[in-house]
Amino acid sequence: MRVGALVRSDDQSALEVLSLAQELGGGAAETYLILPAPQAQHPAAGKARAVVLEGLADADPAQLFAAAEALFGGAAPDVVLLPDGPLFEAVGARLAGSLGRPAVRDAGSVALDGSRVRVVKGAFGGKAALGLETEGGAVIGVRQGAHPAQDLPQTSLEMVQMAPPAPLLSGRKAVRDSSGDDLGRAKVIVSGGRGLGSAEAYAALRDVAQLLGASLGASRAAVDEGWASPSQQVGITGQKVAPEVYVAIGISGASQHLSGMSGAKFVVAVNRDDKAPIFEAADVGVVADWHALWPELRRALAGG
Amino acid sequence: MRVIAFVKSILDPEAPPGAIRFEAGKAVGDVPQVLGPYEGNALELGVQIAEASQGELRVVALGGQEQETGLRKALALGAVAAVRVDVSGGFRDPLDTAGELKAAADALGGADVYIFGRQAGDWDQGVTAGLFAGLSGLPYVPLVQAGEVLGAGLKLRREIPGGYEEGEIAAPCVLSASNGPGTLLRLPKVKDVMLANRKPIEVREGGKASAGFSPASLEASVTRRAGRRIEGDLKAQAEGLAQELRRVIPGIGGGA
Ligand SMILES: Cc1cc2nc3c(=O)[nH]c(=O)nc-3n(C[C@H](O)[C@H](O)[C@H](O)COP(=O)(O)OP(=O)(O)OC[C@H]3O[C@@H](n4cnc5c(N)ncnc54)[C@H](O)[C@@H]3O)c2cc1C
Ligand SMILES: Nc1ncnc2c1ncn2[C@@H]1O[C@H](COP(=O)(O)O)[C@@H](O)[C@H]1O
Repeated sequence: MRVGALVRSDDQSALEVLSLAQELGGGAAETYLILPAPQAQHPAAGKARAVVLEGLADADPAQLFAAAEALFGGAAPDVVLLPDGPLFEAVGARLAGSLGRPAVRDAGSVALDGSRVRVVKGAFGGKAALGLETEGGAVIGVRQGAHPAQDLPQTSLEMVQMAPPAPLLSGRKAVRDSSGDDLGRAKVIVSGGRGLGSAEAYAALRDVAQLLGASLGASRAAVDEGWASPSQQVGITGQKVAPEVYVAIGISGASQHLSGMSGAKFVVAVNRDDKAPIFEAADVGVVADWHALWPELRRALAGG
Repeated sequence: MRVIAFVKSILDPEAPPGAIRFEAGKAVGDVPQVLGPYEGNALELGVQIAEASQGELRVVALGGQEQETGLRKALALGAVAAVRVDVSGGFRDPLDTAGELKAAADALGGADVYIFGRQAGDWDQGVTAGLFAGLSGLPYVPLVQAGEVLGAGLKLRREIPGGYEEGEIAAPCVLSASNGPGTLLRLPKVKDVMLANRKPIEVREGGKASAGFSPASLEASVTRRAGRRIEGDLKAQAEGLAQELRRVIPGIGGGA
């Protein structure tokens, strides 16, 4: 079976996926690389083909898909590995559908046994681990951080030519979020949920965040209420975060939220329900009404 | 416009850990069946597009009787037809599911806009919409947060890392819906819920699972152990919490 990895050179998890391809495919692994500008060499698993997609940082799903098609030239490897995330969202499943192959993402482990492909992924919002097997090819989204990046040899790239592809949406206008704290890199995060009860109460978390030097996150419920922007959502379908400290306020602790913050080193939870599942995932829990606790907490923090 | 939305009903995803058990490759538990939240976003987008274009919304689900929860909700919100592709529950590879959903959509005469949720909360696959687009050879717009009808096409807002983008696309196309300012599911009127309970759901025979991955194991994930509680009255709790925060975040408050 042919094993290949499709990655963007500007993606932090590219090396993890290339290392996995190397491990699974050995010397016969194949690298397919999307570059922002021409380049002679790149760390790679096996033989490497590359295509230049100008404006890669802002490339949309149709442009990325066109780049993948150009790279594969009608002969995609049996097993295609991609980093799970925006590239998979844009290309992975659609590519699998057009090849008539199964697709799976959030793969924490991937193993090959002859033509058998074995994957373990999360299910039920992280409540379960699901082992899956198939015979033959598949397109696989590899969970970020699940596979360590190794040193890969600098490899000469075979460049593939491609006419600049048309974008998916015409008249595109991108809007960066004003609340665009980079949660993925934040050291301290304060997140609010539906328990805050109002847009004003969520907005007032800015004061907490400022005191703690934190970025502001949210649960899906707080986003649905319109208090926080979708880019602030932490969870399985939001941002996966790994701060030193995560403070969850008025968040019940649904498994889908927990799986986005499981990388946090220290978790603090404030919830007025002493049975809220968030306490099962917190190092320190306070059973209290946030609105009553906050003035006291502010005083205590200011007091030193 | 002709719109088809794909609405999966699942065991309540907010059920606490332990309420759902994993036995013999299946999830079981005394937990209510609900329309998945992202399917709710897909349904809302479908209702809006059908209304604004004076078109028609149809809905399709694949599974057993349990799928009627979401289909009935869609009928209460104005869907003109609901189809259930009858297959037994449990895991099914999304490639297979996408193929069955496509056959059902084709039997309905196809659509201008096909709308999926970004991820169903049972197997957390997040791939069915893309597979459907790939099988159909149609353009695929992932993670749509709001949509408007614009002539024969759509103006869409979609999630991108760190924000969103807006732009236009011609039909036919495949969308996956996410949560955002334009996809919050409306509440049906009580009268419409009652009427919907009497509307027919067309049942279509599904094929045997044939393609893709099959389950080899399903186990509950280990959850983290709970830490300590800070007890006492509000003042004591606040002081205890401030002390912990100062310990783990160097340099805050009056600490440094
Ligand atoms: C496929 C899928 C993906 C999902 N992805 C995500 C995701 O990425 N992120 C995410 O967050 N969710 C996600 N969800 C949704 C998730 O299941 C929950 O619905 C959501 O996390 C609930 O948000 P919440 O805790 O803010 O709200 P609720 O569950 O309503 O909890 C509010 C909490 O606030 C407490 N409270 C109320 N008042 C106060 C007060 N005055 N002081 C202190 N506490 C108070 C309550 O006791 C309660 O525990 C997903 C679901 C599915 C099915
Ligand atoms: N059995 C099903 N019935 C109806 N729609 C489905 C089914 N499975 C998946 N879908 C659709 O595909 C989306 C993504 O599902 P998944 O890829 O399983 O996470 C869901 O939000 C639904 O819109």
